[in-house]
Parts: sequence; C-alpha cells; structure tokens
Amino acid sequence: MNRFTKNLHYFSPTGKAGLIILSLFFLMAVFSARLTTHPHDVSSGKALMPPCFDHVLGTDDIGVDLWSQLVYGARISLLVGFLTAGISGCFGALVGMFAGYTGGWMDRFFMRIIDGMMVLPDLPVMIVLAAFFGPGLAQVILVLSLFSWVFTARIVRSRVLVIKQKEYVIYARISGAGPVYLMRKHLFPEVLPLVWVSMIRLAGKAIVAEAGLSFLGLGDPTSRSWGLIIYHATRFPGIYYTRFWTWWLLYPFLALSGMVLALAFVCRDLETLADPRMNQKISGGV
Amino acid sequence: MKKLGRLTEYVITVLIILSINFFLPRMMPGDPFLFLSGDQGEQISAYSDEQIRQYKACYGLDQPIFRSYLSYLADLFRGRLGQSLYFNESVGHIVLRRLPWTVFLVCGAILFSTVLGTALGSLSAFYRNRLLDNVLYGFMMFFSEIPAFLIGLFFLFVFAASLGLFPLSGALTSFSPDRSVVQVLKDIIHHAVLPVAALSLTRLGGMYLLVRNIMISIIPKAYMRTARAKGLSRYRIFIRHGLRNALLPLTTRIFMSLGTLVGGAVLVENVFAYPGLGLMISQAVMVHDYPLIQGIFLVITLLVLSANLMSEVLYRVLDPRVKDGEG
Amino acid sequence: MLELNDLSIVYPENHGPLTAVDHVSLRLERGGRLGIIGESGCGKSSLALSLMGLNRKARTHGTIVYQGVQLNGQSDKAFKAVRWKKIAMVFQNGSEVLNPVLNVFEQLDEVLKTHRRFSTKQRRELVLTWLERVGLDRNWAFEFPHRLSGGMRQRALLAMALCCEPELLILDEPTSSLDARSRSELMGLIDSIQADQGYSLILISHQLSVIEAMTTDLLTLYAGQMMEYGPTHTLLHHPMHPYTRGLINASPDYQIYKELWGMPGGNHETPASNGCPFAPRCVQKGPRCKNSRPQVQIITDGRSLACNKGGIEILLKGEHLHKSFALKKGTVQALCDVNVELKSGEILAVLGKTGSGKSTLAHVLSGLYPSDQGRLTFWEPGLDSLSATRKRDGLQIVFQDPYSSTSHRMTVLDTVKEPLDILGWGTSESRRDAALSALAQVELPNKPEFLEKHGHALSGGQRQRLSLARALTMKPRILIADEITSMLDPSSRANLLRTLMGLQNAQGFSMIFITHDLFLARKVADRVMVMDRGRCIEQGSSVRVFQNPFHPRTRELVDTMLGNVKNEPMLGMKQNVYNLLKPREAETFFQVNHNKEQRRTP
Repeated sequence: MNRFTKNLHYFSPTGKAGLIILSLFFLMAVFSARLTTHPHDVSSGKALMPPCFDHVLGTDDIGVDLWSQLVYGARISLLVGFLTAGISGCFGALVGMFAGYTGGWMDRFFMRIIDGMMVLPDLPVMIVLAAFFGPGLAQVILVLSLFSWVFTARIVRSRVLVIKQKEYVIYARISGAGPVYLMRKHLFPEVLPLVWVSMIRLAGKAIVAEAGLSFLGLGDPTSRSWGLIIYHATRFPGIYYTRFWTWWLLYPFLALSGMVLALAFVCRDLETLADPRMNQKISGGV
Repeated sequence: MKKLGRLTEYVITVLIILSINFFLPRMMPGDPFLFLSGDQGEQISAYSDEQIRQYKACYGLDQPIFRSYLSYLADLFRGRLGQSLYFNESVGHIVLRRLPWTVFLVCGAILFSTVLGTALGSLSAFYRNRLLDNVLYGFMMFFSEIPAFLIGLFFLFVFAASLGLFPLSGALTSFSPDRSVVQVLKDIIHHAVLPVAALSLTRLGGMYLLVRNIMISIIPKAYMRTARAKGLSRYRIFIRHGLRNALLPLTTRIFMSLGTLVGGAVLVENVFAYPGLGLMISQAVMVHDYPLIQGIFLVITLLVLSANLMSEVLYRVLDPRVKDGEG
Repeated sequence: MLELNDLSIVYPENHGPLTAVDHVSLRLERGGRLGIIGESGCGKSSLALSLMGLNRKARTHGTIVYQGVQLNGQSDKAFKAVRWKKIAMVFQNGSEVLNPVLNVFEQLDEVLKTHRRFSTKQRRELVLTWLERVGLDRNWAFEFPHRLSGGMRQRALLAMALCCEPELLILDEPTSSLDARSRSELMGLIDSIQADQGYSLILISHQLSVIEAMTTDLLTLYAGQMMEYGPTHTLLHHPMHPYTRGLINASPDYQIYKELWGMPGGNHETPASNGCPFAPRCVQKGPRCKNSRPQVQIITDGRSLACNKGGIEILLKGEHLHKSFALKKGTVQALCDVNVELKSGEILAVLGKTGSGKSTLAHVLSGLYPSDQGRLTFWEPGLDSLSATRKRDGLQIVFQDPYSSTSHRMTVLDTVKEPLDILGWGTSESRRDAALSALAQVELPNKPEFLEKHGHALSGGQRQRLSLARALTMKPRILIADEITSMLDPSSRANLLRTLMGLQNAQGFSMIFITHDLFLARKVADRVMVMDRGRCIEQGSSVRVFQNPFHPRTRELVDTMLGNVKNEPMLGMKQNVYNLLKPREAETFFQVNHNKEQRRTP
C-alpha cells in the first residue's frame, strides 16, 4: 500500500481521475445491496417511470428500477472484466514465459497459434461460440478468455526473449542457475509489471466485449449487465420517438463509457510506469 | 523460404477455422434442436423435421465424422455454404447480398480514419508539445478508447433521433423506384454517414496515436537531417522522406487491426440496423439459423485472413529491404 | 568567404544547457581547406551542422557570415538560400543517412529538381554523370541504399553533395567507415574534383593522416572551445597545445612506432566553468589554469593558441654544453656543444653507441657534475641542476645498474623513502604513505614482510622497480632514465617499461630515456636525439628520425640496427649467449663482440 501511494504521484490527472472512477465502481459492486432499495430483477413500480425520488434513475419497460440494475450491472462488468483478465493474464503469462524461455519448436508452435489468433476477427468468433454454447456468464468469460490470453502471451514472450539475451541472465546461467531460479529471480520480476498492465488492458477489452455481446442479445439473459440494459432499451419499439432514452439508455451508456475510459487512463499511466526506462526511477515496478 | 512459411501458416490457420466451424455443432452441449424448440425470447422458431434433417445432412451429423468432414471441405471448395434454415435460401446468396454493405462500411472507415489520422498524427508530431498537439492528443486519447458501438449509439440518439439530421436505420430508402443514380448515391451516403463516422472515430484515435509515435521516431533520423540539409521544401521532406518511411509500419498496423474493425462493424451495423453481414449474423443468432451463422462467420474470417496475407505481400513491395532479406 | 564570429551553440537540455561550441571564431577563404579535429563530443559535428542551420533545437550566439550575409538569425531564410546550392555536406556514413526507401537516383535527382532548372532528361544525365564521376557505376543508381557497400554509399553521398556544384563542401568523418583503399580513393576523388571546381573544404576527421593530406589549415576543438589553430602541417608536426599533442599521440596513423597512449581521463569531466576546459587532463596544469579561461592568442604566421601557459612548456634547456674528462694522456671530449630541450609531458630518447656521451649528458643534466661550458636553464628561474634534484616536483634520475643504485643493506621501505627522509618532508607517517603509494605505482607489493626485506633479497627487476619507486616518491617533473632496462631480461624489461610508460601517461612527467637500443627507443620516444662522439648529430620527432634520418651516421645506425635485423641470424645467437651469462659478464661479452663487429656491422 505504501508503494502504491508512492507511485500515485507518477499518475497524470486523467490517470488519477480514472483511479477514482474505478474505485467508485468497485464500491458500487461490493456494496450493491446497501446502495439499492429496489430489486434489480423484478418489477418494483410502474413501467417507464422517469427519474423521481423513489426511482432515482427511473424504471424500464417492465418497471424494474434502473438504479438497481446499474449498481448490480457494475458487478457483472467488473466480474467479467477482472475474471477474464485474471484467467487470460495468468495463462498468457505462463505460455509466454514458457515459450520464450524454452525457445525452439515449442516457441514456434505457440507463436503460430498466437499469430493466427491475433489476426482473427474476435467478435464474429465470439458470436459463433456464444451462439453455440448458449448465453451465460461463465460461457462469456470463457469465450473472452480464450481470445485474450494471446495478447499477454505475446508481450511476455517478447520481453522474455529480450531478458534471456541479457548478460546478467547468461552470467547466472553459466554460474549454474536452474530454470526455476532464473524464472523466479530474473524473468518473473521483470515480466510482472507487463502482465499487470496487459491484464488491466484486457479487463477493459473484456468489459467492452461483454457489453457488445450482450448488446447483440448474446449475454446472460438472467443477469442484468449494462450491455443488456442497452440491448433491451434499443429493442424497445418507441425508443427513438420518446424521451425514454434520456434515462433508460443514457445512464448505462455513461457507466459503460466511464468504466472503459477509467480503465484506459489507468492503463496508460501504468504503461509509462512499467516502461523499462522508467523502472529505475520507481524501483520495484508497479 | 520465409514467405513459404508464412503461407503455410495461413493455410493452417484457415484449416483450423474450417475445422472449428465443422466441429462446433458437434460440440454443442445437448441437442441443438431441443434447445431450439425451447421458449426463447420474442422470435420463436421451431424448425420442421424436414429442416432439421436438411441441416443434419448438410453438416453430416448423420454420417461418420471423417467422411462428413471431407465432404464438408469439398462442398466449401465448390463455394457451397449450405442452406439457411430460417430464410430457406442458399447461405451463399444471402452473404453475397449483404457483403457489399459491410465492405463499404469497413473501407469507408479505413479510408477516413487513415487519411485523417495520418494528417493529424503527423501534424501533432511536427508541432510536438505545442498547444495544437496537446489538444489533439487529449481529444484522440479520449476517443480511441470508447468502443465504436457506444459512439454509434451516441450519434444515433443525438444526430438521428433528436436532431433528425440523418436516417435512423437502414442503408437505402426503400420504395422509391424511379430515382436517378445521383439521388441513389446521395441516399446511400446519407445513410452511411453516421455508421462510418462512428467506426472511423474510434479508429481515428488509434491511427492518430500510431502515426504520431511513428513520426516522432522518424523525425530525428539521419536521413531526415540529410533531407533538410539538401534544402528540400518542407512539403517534400514531410511527404517523400517522412511519410514514405512511416508507410511501412502503418500498413501492417492497418491490416493487423482489421479483425477488431470488423468486430466493431458488426456492432455498429446492429446499432444502425445497417443491412450488412453484422446485422445478418445477429438476426441469424436470434432465430438460431446455424448454417447462416457459420457461413457468415466463415466468410468474414476468410476475408480478414486474406487481407492480412495481402498486407504481407504489400509490405514486401513497400520495403526494399525485405526483398533482399531473402535473396 | 565564410566567417564565424564568436560562435556559440547551446543545446537546452533538461538538466541545464549544454554548450557544444563555445566562442569559436574563424575565417575560411575561397578555396581554403580547413580541418577540424578533436575527441568525440568536442563539438565538431555541431559546428558543421550549424553552418547549414541544421541543429534545430540549439540556440546559436555570435554570427555565421557567408559571403557577407549573416546566415543565422531570426528565420531560416538565409540558410535556405545557401543550403546545398552553396554549402553542401557529406555526412558521416551511417546506415540511415540515405533514405532507406528511396533509391540512389531519386535521392540525387530531388536535389537537382529543387535547386536547378533542368528537364527530367537533363537531370537524369547529370545524376548519372556525377555518379560515374565519383566512381559509382550507373547500374547502381537505381538500387536502394542498403544494397550498396559502405564505400559505395559514401560515393553516392559525395555525388549528392557535389551535383549542385557547391562553393563550400563540408565533410563529416567521410572516411571513418572505409578501408584503407577506398579511403585513399575517395580522398583522391575529392582532391581532383576540387581542382576542377575550386570549392572550399571543411573536413572533420579523427584520422590525422587524412587531415594532413587534405587540408591546409587545422582547428583543434576541445569542449567546444578552440584550442589551437594553424597550418595543418606545422600543427601536426609541432603541436603547441598539450591537447593537440595528446590527439597526435593517440593516433595510430601518426604515432606509428610508439605505443599508443590516450589522454588520461575522459572529456566528460566537467571543467570549471571559468577555467581552462582541458585543465583536469592537462599534464602541465598550473594553479592559473583552474580559474582563468585561456584567451586565443596569435602566436606566429597564422598560428593561434589558447593556453594559459603559452603552449607546451619547455622544462629544461641546455645550450652549448661541453664536458671533457681528463685522462692520463690527454682528454676525452664527452660532450661537445650539445643543445638539448625537453618539453613538458614529452619523452626524449637519447640514442647513441657506447661511449657516445649520452650518459654524460644525463649526468650533467641531473647535476652529478657540472658542465665545463654552456648554460642549463630549468622551468623556473633560479633553479639549477643541483637544486632541481633536491626538491619534490623536480628532477629525478634512475640509473642503469639496479645492484649498485640501491643499497643491499637497507630495507625496501627505507630505500624508497630515503629521498623524503633526507629532505625531511612531512611527517614520518606521510613519508611512509608516499613510499607505499610509490611502491604500488611500480607494482611492487607493499605488504609489511616485503617492506622489511633487504635489497640483496630482491631480483634485478625488483630492484630496478625499487629505484623507480624511490624517484617517484619525489613526484618528479622530469625523470631521467639512464639505460634502466639494459640489465634486465626481456620479460622484466617489457614489464618495467610498460609500468613506466603507464605512469608517465597518467602523471604526465617528462622523461629523458637514454638507451643504445633503437627498438626500445622507437617504442618509447616522442622525440629522438642521436649522439655520436660527444656531439648531437640529429634531433627530431621519433617518426621522422627513424623513417628519414638526415645525418649519414644516423642513417647508418638505423639501417644497420633496424634494417638488417631480418636477415641477420647472428643477433639471435647473441641474445642467447647474453641470457645464459650473468648480467655483468654478458654486458662485457656483448660489448666486446659489439666493438669487434663494429667495423663491419656496428
């Protein structure tokens, strides 16, 4: 925590704003039960009520409180984002370290896979997978992870290749250091900041992708994610000709944009922090 | 040698995609048709036994796997993508009808974002750390992060729904039989403005940042100094020496991110109900028209892959150094 | 034609401004050829770039005037008028000096397109003609730069610079990446085309031989400041600034015999802002150098110099020295009208056969016995040869025979600190410390058990080092080494010499190295003085004397000792005998044989 506050002043104003927004969303997700008075999945009032005292953000077409939906939606967004980032970040880091460290045909094999997946248009593939495996949060996370790990793996691998050529690693190897020692002492600490950064970037991507899938109607219908609110809102026949969108659509839209931007700004700052040239200054990475 | 390696890589990738496409129906949890006949949203579409049999026959679900795999590949080579269950039409036809709109959107977005992004990015690089650069940089950083479909939604509600400047949906005003070519073109452009703008804007940010970085790294290069020493005009230094070198990393990046762009296009088409492949695939998903989903998926993927292959060929043409790396 | 008035170039860096060029003034006439030398980072390239207005981030003070028009000013306009039309540049060869994605022809063509009004066809012919003129085949014109070899790229760059027929050609390290043959070809080209076109030249190079061949005037830069300026030939053969001499001593193409020694210290040391920038590394720095910036002074015939001490000092000067010894029958004229001069930081080798008077010279200079006639002056007025040996920072001598020059009864420590003890310098601790550091300098152990050893327990090499250490405790300004290695075996000799040379380079003392061994002298000396029968028959720079001896007897000496070595098997045998015998015996044996052979092959 100390190091965190120490690094805080390396953040730009936008990065700090991003951190604040992000922590607000975290609080929303953690204390969602305390923050809401109405249920988020069943009707609690008249349909399509504009924002009022009882329903702060109004209600949707079947009378569900939008504030509750928004608060619980934060849970889903964060869950999807960080679970995907966690799974694919860990897996990608492992694959990247392994491929970069062992080299040879294993490396070439993984690189082929990674290169192949990089050029694939991810959304159509996700649509197909989601269509066949059915909607559901777990499936969405799995499908997103399936596509995300290559980014981390690619970054980690190229960095490992660079570190492997460094003389201090060669020196350690000549002196009899085993792979475990090298990974623990040299590779892992240097790669870790990169993994963090790429995980945050992946979280942002995953949140956007989940929203996109939900917007296409491929999200978990039992959950109420932001993308799904937007989906339902845009499907509502009269949405373009009434004022309903000023609350029904606007708030999930703002929440989603805010989350994505916050993650992006934080990530941008972390990238400069994790930059090897900057690393000496902050000693110990992110 | 290396070229051959890349080519085989692409062939393998395509084969893997084809295989995934083939095995997907087999990996579905449970029987897809049981699931189909369940109560699902608005559009319930239970297929007749006849249709189910057709689907099974097309994907060889009733045959031994190896044989059906081969016949599936053979069909694909003959350009047969199967029969749509819902529209009761050949998938190939549907795709061909929808494809131009998607290509139009994507190409338009690439064109706009590349031209504008290159211009603004180089401008920013040349006036680095001045007011213009700072303003542009902040603006672009903001827009490069918001996904295209959110921007699309924003445009839709502001410019189309509230202000009524642009049509809400579609690509063409229907029911207008006798119009001149110019009028039709105007109509098409009128419909395409918002979707292309939404797609371009997200991409513009990325292009801008990329070009800015590339140009910043090119400006201090020795050959730029040589060019200045030669007393060439600013324009010539910038275009012939700067941009010509920036072109290389730029093209690779344009093609590398094509997949993401297509993904964005799929979503944007849904936002604007633009009759491209993206709208089609989501409609197909809605009605569980599996052959159609798979057909569209295959076409999009293969197009993106071949575009990428083309970019590598292009790279060889653009960079004189690559050609000799092999000789 | 070109005039720089008090030009300074300052780069605004994050950590304070960096002055790359510091108050440089010079003039270049039409057809003039100016060379600029200096270590990396001395501001040569910045100076060259500023002439074309190419260092954008830098601020220039002072003026650059070309043909009466001031180039540097508010706008780029004046530079634009001369760029490539009048002033062109051949850049240092690098992989990216030429644009990698344009072929050679395009890059030449666009110059003509911008500056000359020709039709496409004319331009094409002109480009190809120029390429051929610089010796690049037409076929290469349409290749991309990466296909060309370094030499070809350099030719293309030259053609590019010349195709607009500039009046001033700036060459920035044009030959550094070329092999010897391409180098001389390229230089020949620049030379012959210059004869045609009459352009002026500014040549920046590390290669002094190139500089000497190509230029008539030379400028030495250090830390952006002008150190020395003058006619190239004179400057390179008689440098007046210690820095110029250091550059020459570090150039393999110039210092072909002597071991290469760079100037100690790097130019990254930040000098006192108001002192001489070179002072931290200068061998003759005095108290004034630290806080007084040297002004550029005109010395003679177009030479100018910036040194607080007026250039390289003369530490010792002997004029018309005579010395004779009385024998039972008559006298021996050991020194006869000898003039000798020793500059600071210089190694003077005194060569001669046995009995030529070289040891007598050493002894006279160090005040062992006075000269019969003549005058001996030292760096300080009022100093004479006796007082010079009796002070620190004075003159010290190391003798030939280590067995007699150090006592076998005294301990190592006592021997080394003896001169300090005699002077009563400092406290006994400080004397001991000085002795210990001197021992370390000559690479002898300074462990207690070694310090307590007596002279007789040491080998000849160790004892010679001991006497060297003894001299070094006095921090001498001049060290006279009288045949110090003649009694050592080859390996000890090599070791001792390397140590001595390293110390000389690091501490910068001047040395008179007396030897009969031409091979050694050639490896050690900056300047050589040849003695014969008490007379100095030749003096000059080591390279000159060994390559082109003037005096017939010097020539004879050089030819017989150096020239015949390849086809004289006898010498090898002699060395063997020498090593088998005890040193003393060997010396006499060798000398006897030597004398016998002298009539045929001395």
